Amino acid sequence: MAAKNMNETREFKNVKYLLTSSMRTLILVVLYNNNKTLNEIRDELQKPSATILHGLKELEENNLIKKDKKEYSLTSNGYLLSTNIIKLINNWYSIETHKDFWNSHDLSGIPEEYLNKLYLLKDAELVSSTTSDLSNAFNTYIQLLRTSASIKMILPIYSENHFKYIIKLLKSDSIQHLTILINKKILRTMRKSRYLKKTILKNRKVTVLDMDRNPKIFLTYSEEFMTLTLFFKDKHYDDSQMIVDRSENSIRWAKGLFNYYMEDSNDRQ
Amino acid sequence: MMIDENYIDKDILFIVNSEIRLQILTELKNEPQTVRELVDRTNMAYSSVSNNLSKLEYKNHVIKEDRIYTINPMTRIYFDQIMEFKKSIDVVQNFNNFWYKHDITYININLIEDITKLYKSKLIETNPIDIYKTHNNIKKNLEKSRNVKGILPYIHPEYPKLMEKILKSNGKIELIMEKSIYRGLISQIDEKVKRQAKKEGRLKIHVLKENLEIYLLICDNKMNLGLFKNDGSYDQNRILTSDTHESINWANSLFDTIKEKVI
Repeated sequence: MAAKNMNETREFKNVKYLLTSSMRTLILVVLYNNNKTLNEIRDELQKPSATILHGLKELEENNLIKKDKKEYSLTSNGYLLSTNIIKLINNWYSIETHKDFWNSHDLSGIPEEYLNKLYLLKDAELVSSTTSDLSNAFNTYIQLLRTSASIKMILPIYSENHFKYIIKLLKSDSIQHLTILINKKILRTMRKSRYLKKTILKNRKVTVLDMDRNPKIFLTYSEEFMTLTLFFKDKHYDDSQMIVDRSENSIRWAKGLFNYYMEDSNDRQ
Repeated sequence: MMIDENYIDKDILFIVNSEIRLQILTELKNEPQTVRELVDRTNMAYSSVSNNLSKLEYKNHVIKEDRIYTINPMTRIYFDQIMEFKKSIDVVQNFNNFWYKHDITYININLIEDITKLYKSKLIETNPIDIYKTHNNIKKNLEKSRNVKGILPYIHPEYPKLMEKILKSNGKIELIMEKSIYRGLISQIDEKVKRQAKKEGRLKIHVLKENLEIYLLICDNKMNLGLFKNDGSYDQNRILTSDTHESINWANSLFDTIKEKVI
C-alpha cells in the first residue's frame, strides 16, 4: 500500500516540474515562437546567464529543447508541452481577468470540457450595467445582434424584452437566419402566445430546436461575435453582466458549446 | 505572448507546489469527505492530510462544514485545468517514442491544444519478433471497416486488395494522397468496382502534387496516426491508435484541416 501511495503522489511530479520553476517555464514559453541564442534568451528574460544555462541544461536533458550550433529550439515534445503550458496560463488568465463574474455565477451550464477551454475567451470583455445605466448590458447585446445576419443562441429564459427586439430585427431583415435552442417548457410557454408563434416560432427565418435539458446559460454567437450571460447562484437570471468577445477563438468556443447542447435536442427543422 | 515570473497566481502555485495537496483535491473533487475518509482513501499520513487541509481551508480552497470538506467551486475550475494539463503531459510522456524526433508540423495548434483527446490511445510498436505489428494492426482495421478516410504517404502492397474489398461490399473511401502513390493504388483496383464506387460517390480521392508527411487512417471507429521522423523518412514502426469517440473526432478534425489546406 505504501508503494501505491508513492506512485500516486508521484503522479503529479511532472506537473510540478513544469509549473513550479519559473525559469523552466519561461524558457519554454520564450522559445515557443522562435529559436533563440543564449544572448537573446537572456535579453528577453533579464536573468543572469548562469541561471538560464542551468534551466537550458535541464530542459535539454529532458528532451524538451535542443541546441543546434548556437541556437536553442523546442523539440517536438517541447512544442507539445509549451503549447499546453500556454493554454493553461491563458486559461487562468481568462478566469483571473473576470474572476468576479465567474465566481458569482452558476457555472453548471458550462460542461467541464468548456471550462477547461476558457483560454479561448482570453480577449473577452465584461460589459456591466451600472447604476446610471441599468440596461447597458442589454443594449450592448441588441447592438451586437444588429451586426450579424446569421445568429445562433441557447435561450434559457422567457423574456418579452428579448423577444421584442428579436422580432424587430427579423422584420427588418437585419437577421436572416436565427437558430434558437430552447428548453421544452419555455417553448411551451412561447407557444401559448399567438403573437410569438407567428413572429418567431413559425417564421421561416427561424429554426427552433427544443431540448429536455435546461442549461443555465444564455449563449449567443455569429460569425462576428459571441456573448454569454449567466444565472446567479441563487438561480436568478442576471442581465446586468455580459461576457462579449469578437475573437475567432471565442466564436469557436461558443460554437462548440452550442453544438454540445444541440446534439441532445429533438430536431424539428 | 508576454509573460513574467508571476505567470501563475500565488494561490494556484500553492496548490501545484504540493503533491499532497493535489492528491487531496483529487479526492475532494470526487466527493466531499472527512479527514478520516481522506486518510483511508489516500493512505497518506493523518498529520500531513489534516495539516494540508487546514492550509487549504485557510486559503479558501476548501470549505469545511460539519467535519466534511468540500472543494471551493472556483478552486475546482483551476484544479480541473491543472488536471487537464497533467493529462496533456501524460499523452506526451506515455507516447514519448512516438513524438520525440518526429515531425508534428501537420498537426495544427488547435489540435495540439486538444491533445488530451488522445489520452486513451495505444502506441503500437514493431519489435524484432513481430516486425509487421503496425501493418497487421492496420490490416485488421481495414478488413472490418466499411467507412475509411485516410491520408496516405505510402501504400503497403496489401492496401489495394483491402480497399477493393471495402468498395465491393458497398463501403465508402475518401483518401488524400500524392500522384504516384495514387497511381500505384488505383491501378491495382478492379476497374468495374472503381467506376461503380465513384459513380455512387463512395470513392473520393484527392490527388496532390507533393507528398504529405503524415499518416492518418480513420476506419469506422478507430483512428491510426503515424508520423515522419525529423530526417524526412516515414516511421513505419510506430502507430498511435485509439477507438474513443473523442479521438475519432480529433482525427476527423486533423483530416479536415489538412484537406482544407491542400485542396
